[in-house]
Amino acid sequence: MTATVTGPAVARLSHQPLPEARLGFGGVLRSEWIKLTTVRSTVWAYAIIFLLQLGMGAVIVLSQPEEYLEASAPADVAVFSASLGVMLNQLVISVLGVLVITGEYGTGQIRSSLTAVPRRLPVLWGKAIVFGVTSFVVGIVSVLASFGLNAVLLQSRGVSVTLFDAEVWPYLVGAAGYLALVGLIAFFLGALIRHTAGGVAAAMGLILVVPSVLGFISAEWVTVLGQWLPMSVGQNLFFPATVFQPWQAILVMLGWIAVVAVPAAILLKRRDA
Amino acid sequence: MIEATTLTKRYGAKTAVDGVSFAVRPGLVTGFLGPNGAGKSTTMRMIVGLDRPTSGRVTVNGMPYAEHRSPLHEVGALLEAKAVHTGRSARNHLRALAATHGIPRRRVDEVIDLTGLHSVAGRRVGGFSLGMGQRLGIAAALLGDPATLILDEPVNGLDPEGVLWVRGFVRQFAAEGRTVLLSSHLMSEMALTADHIIVIGKGRVIADAPVGDIVGSTKTYVRVRSPRIDEIARRLGQPDVEVTSTAADTIEVRGITAEVIGDAALQLGVALHELTEITGSLEDAYMDLTRDEVEYRTTVGASAASAASAGPSAPSAASASTEGALR
Repeated sequence: MTATVTGPAVARLSHQPLPEARLGFGGVLRSEWIKLTTVRSTVWAYAIIFLLQLGMGAVIVLSQPEEYLEASAPADVAVFSASLGVMLNQLVISVLGVLVITGEYGTGQIRSSLTAVPRRLPVLWGKAIVFGVTSFVVGIVSVLASFGLNAVLLQSRGVSVTLFDAEVWPYLVGAAGYLALVGLIAFFLGALIRHTAGGVAAAMGLILVVPSVLGFISAEWVTVLGQWLPMSVGQNLFFPATVFQPWQAILVMLGWIAVVAVPAAILLKRRDA
Repeated sequence: MIEATTLTKRYGAKTAVDGVSFAVRPGLVTGFLGPNGAGKSTTMRMIVGLDRPTSGRVTVNGMPYAEHRSPLHEVGALLEAKAVHTGRSARNHLRALAATHGIPRRRVDEVIDLTGLHSVAGRRVGGFSLGMGQRLGIAAALLGDPATLILDEPVNGLDPEGVLWVRGFVRQFAAEGRTVLLSSHLMSEMALTADHIIVIGKGRVIADAPVGDIVGSTKTYVRVRSPRIDEIARRLGQPDVEVTSTAADTIEVRGITAEVIGDAALQLGVALHELTEITGSLEDAYMDLTRDEVEYRTTVGASAASAASAGPSAPSAASASTEGALR
């Protein structure tokens, strides 16, 4: 008779040798893509953006009085209604932008991330690129879908618009671009503040509260200052340009991103995780 | 091989790690032992660059961790259970970490099987127990098939089967010639797992020696119980023998063996009720070493003792008070 001793299975460390594994920026981008797409808040936020963009546009088109439709250029009506959702969605994308990074701090995930990428900055830039590009793609899809829906609704009211009209494209791309850029400002605010509530408050403050407070102050320089705030700048991208040319507006937005991103990067490198 | 040289970390006025130097050699399981707040975790975090040393330096295989081209292949670290986004599944968490180094998908499946997470790998980590979180942390540490393993309190929250698994696993890991640094405040765990022990207290290295040496450093003694204990004690009185009375009929003798004491009792014609050789445990050694180095000391029954001395009418409720020992 033989007695079988069953102890804990002593695990083999690796069944097959690993191929040369090496840390690289391409890998960091893939990692950030996996991270972005495997939490529910991302899916929810992008779904809300898509639906709000569609819904806002449809409400605008359907609620316009007949006289207005007759008096306006059809392309203007379609572009305005397709872009208007951005005014709401800039808040949604800002919350997501903050969450993408503060979610890591809040849960302790950041320590896993920074152990895998101990030089740290590739995590920040990789996350920004993946989040920015994804937001732009979701933005352009949402805006185009909204434009398409609006075209159908306008058709039923006897107005005809088409995407073949080259004039409409800068506004539609501008709307999606603004969404991505404002999302990145919020993202770097989150990286700087490292707390969800604080990050969201800062982003909302910059986008919503500061402009409305400044609106009450009647001084020439305050008015000018107000024109440089992200939301005012952005309107030159998806509504007819007033203060800035679109390319200037993009530069100002990139400036805003840099102003937040540089201290965020310095502190990420310096602080204990 | 991990080498720390006068490694120091201060948080404001508080010094968490105070000029610590040590080497963790390959082929051994090195235990990092110390009371809560001794600086174990901070030291481990500095090894992988999560905390920046105030001064001093620490290298892994000759280089700071961050400068390695394939960090996860150098060091696998479990520094806290559930350093994971709670909304993500275990498998996706591991996939994301693996992606940074281009570690293939099959290795992710391998570490999931290895740590027994197969049935829960698709579940979100937020619902994991501490034990499952520990297993996931170990799986993440193993992803890069690392040459060095750093585990902070790995058996915390594990079931007995899991504890046995970790123990066997780190022993095998070291036997393969790799480096293992394992922290614990459980001496019994260390006695079973570690070959070499670094004891740390109040941010300083108190001892750095093989387990055998540390255990051997506490004196073994013989407990003797007899109705005529005084006669035995007198008979044993020599310059190199230490006799301590612990009860009316009991003494503890250091410096001679049980055989000598038994023979002496026979010659005296005195009956022995007990003759026990007591060997020091790692626990005893540890308590001796860290007696003055405990950051948070719990005083049990101190007020009960003072109450008793105050008079028989005083209530003898034992209470525990915790005092933070400030330096």
